Amino acid sequence: MRRITKQIFDWFDERAGLRELSDKMLNEPMPGGARYAYVFGSILVYIFIMQLVTGILLMFYYAPTADHAYESTQYIIHNVEYGWFILSFHFWSSSVMVVMVVIHMSQVFLWGAYKKPGELVWVVGTVLFVLVVAMGFTGYLLPWDQRSFWATTVGIEIADKVPLVGDFIGQFLRGGPTTGAHTINRFFVLHVMILPLAIMGLATLHIYLFRKAGPAGPYKGTHRELTKTSEYFFPRQVYKDSVAIGLVFLITCALAFYEPVELLQEATPEPGDYNPVPEWYFLFLFQMLRYEMFSGEWGQIIGSIVIPLAFMIWLVAIPFIFRNPERRLWKRKIGIATWALILFAVAWLTYDFSITEVH
Amino acid sequence: MLMMQPKIKMKVFGCDRDVGEVANVIADPVAKTLSHIVVRTEDRGQRVVPLDQIAEVSEGVRLRCSAVEVSGYPLLCRDDYTTVHQQEVAGLEARLDVEPGETLIPIPEGDRDIPRRGFFTKFTVVINAVLALPLVYPVLKFLIHPMYGAYDNTWVKLARADQFSDVDAPKSYRFKKTLKEGYLERTFDKSHWAMKASPETLEAIYQGKDREFRDKNGDVYWVNRKDVPYIVYSGKCPHLGCGYKWRSTKKYDMAFLCPCHLTIYNIAGSVLTGPAPRALDVLPTRVTPGGDIETIDVEYKAGLVKRVRVI
Repeated sequence: MRRITKQIFDWFDERAGLRELSDKMLNEPMPGGARYAYVFGSILVYIFIMQLVTGILLMFYYAPTADHAYESTQYIIHNVEYGWFILSFHFWSSSVMVVMVVIHMSQVFLWGAYKKPGELVWVVGTVLFVLVVAMGFTGYLLPWDQRSFWATTVGIEIADKVPLVGDFIGQFLRGGPTTGAHTINRFFVLHVMILPLAIMGLATLHIYLFRKAGPAGPYKGTHRELTKTSEYFFPRQVYKDSVAIGLVFLITCALAFYEPVELLQEATPEPGDYNPVPEWYFLFLFQMLRYEMFSGEWGQIIGSIVIPLAFMIWLVAIPFIFRNPERRLWKRKIGIATWALILFAVAWLTYDFSITEVH
Repeated sequence: MLMMQPKIKMKVFGCDRDVGEVANVIADPVAKTLSHIVVRTEDRGQRVVPLDQIAEVSEGVRLRCSAVEVSGYPLLCRDDYTTVHQQEVAGLEARLDVEPGETLIPIPEGDRDIPRRGFFTKFTVVINAVLALPLVYPVLKFLIHPMYGAYDNTWVKLARADQFSDVDAPKSYRFKKTLKEGYLERTFDKSHWAMKASPETLEAIYQGKDREFRDKNGDVYWVNRKDVPYIVYSGKCPHLGCGYKWRSTKKYDMAFLCPCHLTIYNIAGSVLTGPAPRALDVLPTRVTPGGDIETIDVEYKAGLVKRVRVI
């Protein structure tokens, strides 16, 4: 039996070069050896694949039209076996993905792994970050309930304020002057075709560039020590990645199980008693726009466009700003302080939202 | 069975004496075998010697020909070759047994002429541009098709005048809106705020002037008379488009409060506190002879000081 398996494998290997391919993929030497600290990239690949799988499953029943989106989503939740679970898993995975992206980026920043020769890996990574957030935003509309409708309406209203091109962007995304039938089609195409293809392409490029640059490894240790303790990606790192992925899977399952998605009323421009609130990872921005300093036409442009855009430009520019090859944390005071400040500001704004009463 | 292959840096012996060493090997990309070796002779010249001149390969390469004959073979023209790093030849690697170094692969003769390569590159770009450019306009038109439509100035019934027993007591009035977007016609709920205003509120809103509503060309399509006490506010918050409510607030007693970014407006629609850039939007209002309060479902862009109509 084993001989036949080997013969079959050899037959394919001779034609497809499987051994060589898997050798090249897996025999990636990691300076300093495998670590649990390196699991986040693999976790993101895993979540993306799960989102593809659950997303494709949801499309078996979901109808991306304004007259049936809500009903078909309700049908998935209430009628289709395990529909509630697959939808909730898909929903919670997006949140877990945002958390993991932030951890992944923070880690690369704190480890100084974006420094030469890793600059391009970082730049492509920042684009992927934007795409992941865009996936969250476009997916949010698809169930077509009140939560969807108002998050999208307010979100596009913000995009509309971008100087010069804002009006076009807003009209283009909505497919008209208000959130409606065309908006759902457009968000659907973005969510299931354009953004996933872009993520697939850029994630491949991200990994290719990473392999080209090589893993940065720990930020301390001599060259000799790191070479001596170096290990291949397979099997130890793959094992550690799998353990972490298993944990993420269990957490996502638990979230889906204990906090399954329930829809509000069907989308309508009549808000009723509903108080619009965006997804939790946009709350800091939402709260920021309540402040007096971001009031009025220009205050709002500064709060919702200038600051986020400046942040994104800074993010992309990080490898070109902090060019000192020094990677040790305690020697990079400005960089570390800035990163801590940003994370603190986001956390504080989110906390401030949670304690602000509507009155 | 292949004989042992010549390796880079191996000594090369002619049939009479030492010739030099193997500088490179050249592979035939079609036959996927070595075809020549490049011999670096003692006078530093690099001669391309066909493989069939090799008698034996062991510690070194023993040639059938003499040293003089080797110097009769053509000099290596390096520009006529790529290397295995620059060109993928499927299956070549598995059949070569050479030491690390450059295995050369001859560039097809037709491709050695650089000006023609430039011509082909340019022409390819032109052809593709000719194919792609005419598509830009149709694709753009295709995508923006539903984006810009005409405004709808039909009147919708919101309430009845005799429903307003108290003044300055706004209520949210729902109406059914039917909208045809593309092929899809939908009817959904929408709401605006309406009230019977006290003379003071009316004065605060209109400031003694009639309110004119103009279309894109600047022509007036409706005028709200300053003495008509029925006021309709668009249900869309002028900050970022949420729906606001008339309710008691901690600081201002009864007021319009938007739960999103917490702008508070007074009864006349003016901003008391919060981020909104302008007052609530007063909509065209008329009272029919039958006593219905009607409005045009106008919407303005949120977030701007100026009122820019969107529907």
